[in-house]
Amino acid sequence: MAEREENERLFSENHHDTGTSGRMSPLRDPNHLLHRIIVLFFMCFLGFGSYFCYDNPAALQKQIIQDMQLNTSKFMQLYAWYSWPNVFLCFLGGFLLDRVFGIRLGTVIFALFVCVGQVIFALGALVDHFWLMEFGRFVFGIGGESLAVAQNTYAVNWFKGKELNLVFGLQLSMARVGSTVNMNIMGSVYDHMKTVLGQTGYFTLGSALMIGATTCVLSLFCALVLGFLDKRAERILNKEQGKTGEVIKLKDVKDFPLQLWLIFIICVGYYVAIFPFIGLGQVFFIEKFNFSPTEARLINSIVYIISAPASPVLGLMVDKTGKNIIWVMCAVITTLLAHMMLAFTFWNPWFAMVILGLSYSLLACALWPMVAFVVPEHQLGTAYGFMQSIQNLGLALISMAAGSILDSKGYLILEVFFCACICLALIAVVGLYFLDFLRGKLYIESVQCIWSLALTRKNCICSLYLLRLTRWRAEPFSCNPGQSTKDLIFGVRVKPIHSVGSTQPAVSRLTGQPDLSITHWEVRRMRDGSFEAHVRLWPAQPLSVQTGRAAP
Amino acid sequence: MSGSNARSFIPLLGVLLGVFLCASGFMGSGVPFRRKVTLELNPGLKLSNAAPPEFDLLHVRALGENDTLHFFLCSKGAPAVLLVHTNSTESSVQVDWPTFVILNSTGGLRVVPESSVQYSRALVFTRLLEYDDVNNTAEPQDFLPPYDLKDFAWSDLNSTVDYTFHAALLCGKDHSSTFRNGSFCLDFSAFESGGREEAWPSLLHSANSSQLHVWLEGVTPRANQSRFSLELQMVSEVGFQDRVDVQRFIDDEYTPSIFQVSQWVSSPVNSSSVRGFMQWKPIAYRKRVPMLEDATPCRNSQPVPLAQPPPSGLISAYFTHNPVTSGINISFSLAEDPFYGSTKFLSWTVLIGMGTPPSDSFSPLVIGIMAVGLGTPLALIVVGGVYVCIRKRRDQQLGYQPIN
Repeated sequence: MAEREENERLFSENHHDTGTSGRMSPLRDPNHLLHRIIVLFFMCFLGFGSYFCYDNPAALQKQIIQDMQLNTSKFMQLYAWYSWPNVFLCFLGGFLLDRVFGIRLGTVIFALFVCVGQVIFALGALVDHFWLMEFGRFVFGIGGESLAVAQNTYAVNWFKGKELNLVFGLQLSMARVGSTVNMNIMGSVYDHMKTVLGQTGYFTLGSALMIGATTCVLSLFCALVLGFLDKRAERILNKEQGKTGEVIKLKDVKDFPLQLWLIFIICVGYYVAIFPFIGLGQVFFIEKFNFSPTEARLINSIVYIISAPASPVLGLMVDKTGKNIIWVMCAVITTLLAHMMLAFTFWNPWFAMVILGLSYSLLACALWPMVAFVVPEHQLGTAYGFMQSIQNLGLALISMAAGSILDSKGYLILEVFFCACICLALIAVVGLYFLDFLRGKLYIESVQCIWSLALTRKNCICSLYLLRLTRWRAEPFSCNPGQSTKDLIFGVRVKPIHSVGSTQPAVSRLTGQPDLSITHWEVRRMRDGSFEAHVRLWPAQPLSVQTGRAAP
Repeated sequence: MSGSNARSFIPLLGVLLGVFLCASGFMGSGVPFRRKVTLELNPGLKLSNAAPPEFDLLHVRALGENDTLHFFLCSKGAPAVLLVHTNSTESSVQVDWPTFVILNSTGGLRVVPESSVQYSRALVFTRLLEYDDVNNTAEPQDFLPPYDLKDFAWSDLNSTVDYTFHAALLCGKDHSSTFRNGSFCLDFSAFESGGREEAWPSLLHSANSSQLHVWLEGVTPRANQSRFSLELQMVSEVGFQDRVDVQRFIDDEYTPSIFQVSQWVSSPVNSSSVRGFMQWKPIAYRKRVPMLEDATPCRNSQPVPLAQPPPSGLISAYFTHNPVTSGINISFSLAEDPFYGSTKFLSWTVLIGMGTPPSDSFSPLVIGIMAVGLGTPLALIVVGGVYVCIRKRRDQQLGYQPIN
């Protein structure tokens, strides 16, 4: 399922008005923490149903194939049909929520789509019509991804400026919990239905899926409660209805830098080797490693289980070190190794799957924020929309391909195919690394040198290595070739900062002139794509605020 | 790019290179080896002598550079395949037809000169077992009365033998009503060289082996939840011992979802060298055209020594000196798999040969994809790394001078 980690970065954090409502009890006061915790509870369960049901086919792979008399490629159509609507809806979801329905109605509508989709899916099994099941997955897909956008919008609306990161983290973990629970209990639900009905077959399958649909009803209920609570909060606090803030302009696509396209390739190449693999994983572990169905379900969900606690930790690590592209490279290489272990060895697959789970979490933390490094803020919505759209396109196509490869060529070739996809991602990462090296420097022109300690010259023209995905750093200024190189040569080291527009005090060292150091600097990406740098120098500070502009 | 980054590539390169070398190390080296295969039906039978026998004897002569393999397929009694390996290119077959046609006769079939015979072994299909799997556990028990293959009426080999493709088809029926539309068939093929058949399980065969494709079609099950087992017996000379090995292999490209191969090998007592084998993949197909969704696993019991040789005319005619017999059961399907009645079809394939069993190797497709997939980023890293190092050095040479 497409990641939503990135959404957090789409929203600016502004504190909303703190209305005076001390008269109400804490539970009823929309500003009070207790009340917001209740809201958070409903928010988390809002997405539970869709995440639970998304992987229903993976959890019941063997049963679906047997009861509906499918082959694997037909089975994988269930995943493809989920992805198809999202190739387009990634652009539309935010728009629909902001302009057409509003967040409250929109959420209910999307939850309804999820619910109805799952019911149609189950109904298809009950009446033994596979096309109906596919249609159900299509309807389910219409709601699924957009519901995640709605969930994030609610989170921002209620928690911005407060515990927003924590809330995003919790929602994400809840999503993983949904997937894990599904993977591990749907088999037992099926078995239970089999005992109750006294038979296997499509009717048993349909009943089990219908029981799965109750989680969607739960989500729909949460959507209604949230709508009510939000409306009530609006009335009491006089606040506005939340907006996703996503602005999608398709004409921005032509301005996307090459780096962004490489990021797209990484995204597609990587995720198509994860989700379709999980979709087919259960039977793979049974047939290749002789696992029992229960054990196979558990190991198949290990990626989600690991991802729930590992994401925040790894996210923190990536944030602290800032070398996103190195982390992405690590994640891609370890995933490749994990897939190769699964493909070419009979080693205990727990080892490979744990590595896969860790690297999957690492990639999610490192890859999605990188988009913000290479496109200006006003294009972020379009870039993320496009990324998810391409990802869904890839998932749809590769799901179908994976099914037919398995049918005709077996698991080794399928795994080799997944390895090839990851190799494609690896090529893109390596390309991105070097491209970043070559293009990552930005020349800041016309830096005014106002200070006057040992330096006599003014108006030196300096160039500054600036933007790297690996890290932010400034490398030695070199002077205008027309002037003596003795004029001004110094270097700065800057701690990593994470996205254009943010500022961070820099620990700086001037290599040429130890007396001078940069105490503060700030780089802003302007709407026209150029950069503006503000550098504050010591000991000349605070007078010497240097500004310069650079074309990317 | 800093120097430390450049250095960090080196272990990475090592790992990728190592993996690549490992992968390419799996490549097998196939030595092309050919035999000249000729088929002969009922060798030495002169029709004028007597009435035509009620069975056929197919003799396959596979002539190598300095040895000869003789295969026999015969439907007298239980159907059997006999393999005789001689170290002479001149060895020939002598059938004493008047003796051979007599029920329970011995010594009707000889391969001469007898001193050239290195190894002989026969595989006999003795019984077809059916059981009602009430609990759907696929544990063979509560057997229904077995179908005895020696009592089957076998088809005429004359009409099915294919002299060009070295194949012959033998089909048999029981006399009971359940076999009215049903048949049990053995499709025999001999091979001039190594290769594999298009249709799954696509067993890898060599010129030292022949293949039997066995299927059971259209039989009316005698219970609601019928499953089948096949009883096989192996006959060899005294001084050989049998065991069933299971070898795992990670390339399931030719038989999707099957990662192992079972081989029933015979080796001389007190020696581990394998002289002959029966090899199969533990998979059967429930439809005539094998598809993954119609695959059903099969299991085998361990070989059990038997006191009596199987009731096959070929065995009694060839093995005259108290041969050693052992038997196994191959049972089809696992718990929860569909029952025989759902498709009324089961097919299974086995190789019979001499020497060590052929073993699979990675296909060029796998090696090619992995080589390109790993090679391209590696090449990119090397080229890029060299470029970065050069640039780095150039930058350092320029140097920065201190400010006065």
